[in-house]
Amino acid sequence: MTWLLWRQHRLQAAIAAAAYAAFLVAVLLTGWHMADIYHSALVTCRANGTCDELNLFQGYGAIVDVVNLTAAVPLLIGLFWGVTSVGREMDTGTHVLAWTQSVTRRRWLAGKIGLLMAAAAVWGAAVTVAVTWWSKTPNSYYADRFDPGKFMIQGIVPVGYALFAAALGLAAGAVIRRTLPALAVTVVGYVAAQVTVSNWIRPHLAAPLVSDVPFDQQNAVPSGSWLLRQDIVLHGKAITSALSLPAQCAPDRGGNVRQCLADLGYRYVVHYQPASRYWPFQWVEFTGFVALAAVLVTVAWFSVLRRDA
Amino acid sequence: MNEHAVETSGLGKRFGSRWALRDCSLNVPEGRICGLIGANGAGKTTLLRMLVGLSRPSAGEVKIFGQPPSDTEPFVRDVGYLAQEIPLYRRWTVADHLTFGARLNPDWDDDATRERLYRLRIPFEQRVGTLSGGQRTQVALALALGKKPRLLLLDEPVAALDPLARREFLATLTAAVADGNLTVILSSHLVTDLERVCDHVVVLNAAQLVIGGGLDQMLASHYLLTGPSRDLGALERDHTLLRAERTPRQVKAWVRLDGPLHDPTWEVTELDLEEIVLAYMGQSSPAPAVAEVVS
Repeated sequence: MTWLLWRQHRLQAAIAAAAYAAFLVAVLLTGWHMADIYHSALVTCRANGTCDELNLFQGYGAIVDVVNLTAAVPLLIGLFWGVTSVGREMDTGTHVLAWTQSVTRRRWLAGKIGLLMAAAAVWGAAVTVAVTWWSKTPNSYYADRFDPGKFMIQGIVPVGYALFAAALGLAAGAVIRRTLPALAVTVVGYVAAQVTVSNWIRPHLAAPLVSDVPFDQQNAVPSGSWLLRQDIVLHGKAITSALSLPAQCAPDRGGNVRQCLADLGYRYVVHYQPASRYWPFQWVEFTGFVALAAVLVTVAWFSVLRRDA
Repeated sequence: MNEHAVETSGLGKRFGSRWALRDCSLNVPEGRICGLIGANGAGKTTLLRMLVGLSRPSAGEVKIFGQPPSDTEPFVRDVGYLAQEIPLYRRWTVADHLTFGARLNPDWDDDATRERLYRLRIPFEQRVGTLSGGQRTQVALALALGKKPRLLLLDEPVAALDPLARREFLATLTAAVADGNLTVILSSHLVTDLERVCDHVVVLNAAQLVIGGGLDQMLASHYLLTGPSRDLGALERDHTLLRAERTPRQVKAWVRLDGPLHDPTWEVTELDLEEIVLAYMGQSSPAPAVAEVVS
């Protein structure tokens, strides 16, 4: 059985390893370079006493894009490994060949699922380790690792996504038994899950904190927090249209506009998840996706073993 | 002791509201080559898939060497199967498939399998997807035989083969059975293919078992009776009338003799397997679905 798994999936393993090696080289080189630039910039600005307008990392568009694109890695795992693992065999009928050798179906399926999930976990972990390490510098510079686009490619959640996507592809293939529809279901299901979680679930994992200050004061939102809403509020109502300045606060009156608005009762309200919740959120979301993956693996297991071949 | 390799009783399979096979009770003794005959859609594949445990009966039961099919190692070791679609890993070479057979089957007979394919001039290093249909079938058969099962089920294995390849295939099969400890069931819609190699026959028609039994006994009990026109009631009392054709002066009756024939006015003609099968298929209502067991 081990031989069969190796023979069937060695090409996929080789492609994944080569892609990862290339990615790792790029990440290491640019990561070291960025850290260097950042530290010397900090030294310079400490000497000058100001850190405004650093404008670092201007030529880094390509690697930033590549790193951001690792958001698609779990989906690729689901498509290329999840769906092919069992679904494509049932599509081409080769599962019947495997099942009529001297290996039980249960052992065959356990081997297939075990390898798939292990590969998804290892590859997902390898990518996120590299991305998380690389992101240390931009994280400190931009303080935006809690933003959805960054949150989903760093830390522990990409491993959860990879397991979920692999299990989704596996279950779609096992239930539908046709490669193309299973691929489509995997794409739609994975994107739907991501959109749902980042828009409607993650913001509410804990009640957001609110910073509500007069318009002329600075918000006390800790650096690195995830800003959910920022509103200008007058008498308890958020102003949704473009703010038209009241006549008495017009800039040509010469006064401080912010001060004037604050005096009229304008407030600045921010809903946010504080930076301190970053890791708790990571772990909760990871656990949730692993649980979904477990459900999908169970569905695949019974769909394969309980139905006729 | 004549153990049964295959034993089914009341076996049926339903897809939605349609029965693909119903109320099928048959036995196949060990060591036989059993031909499973029926038109397309008669239920042959459905029957074979239930025997190998790839699909579950909707009614009745199956026993293979006395045990129901199960996902256990003793069962999967005992039973080999060659599906109609000849599933192989198309991107693998023939040699890969031999390694596959060796790794996944503890009783694998490597020498015999290589020898078999070598004799057929199958190129070992060629991808299976680039072989001809006949060569692929031979590779799949070699794989199924190399496993050394006690029961081998072949679904329409010769359908895709030209006459020469067909002959080679059947010769390979006969030789393997002669080597011992193997029972084969192979299906076909062509009676002539099976008549040469089979010593046991099961006929399906429209999802039902028509007849099953030893070929010799079947040939020895089925005749065409020709004689002057008469009422067939007397004949039907003692024997099974399969089909009758009448002209004003003459009557032809295809019968299974269930005892000695007492009426000397019949002219008795022997039937070959194909004629017997056709006589059964021409019946408006099938005979009782009971298979003969030959000891």
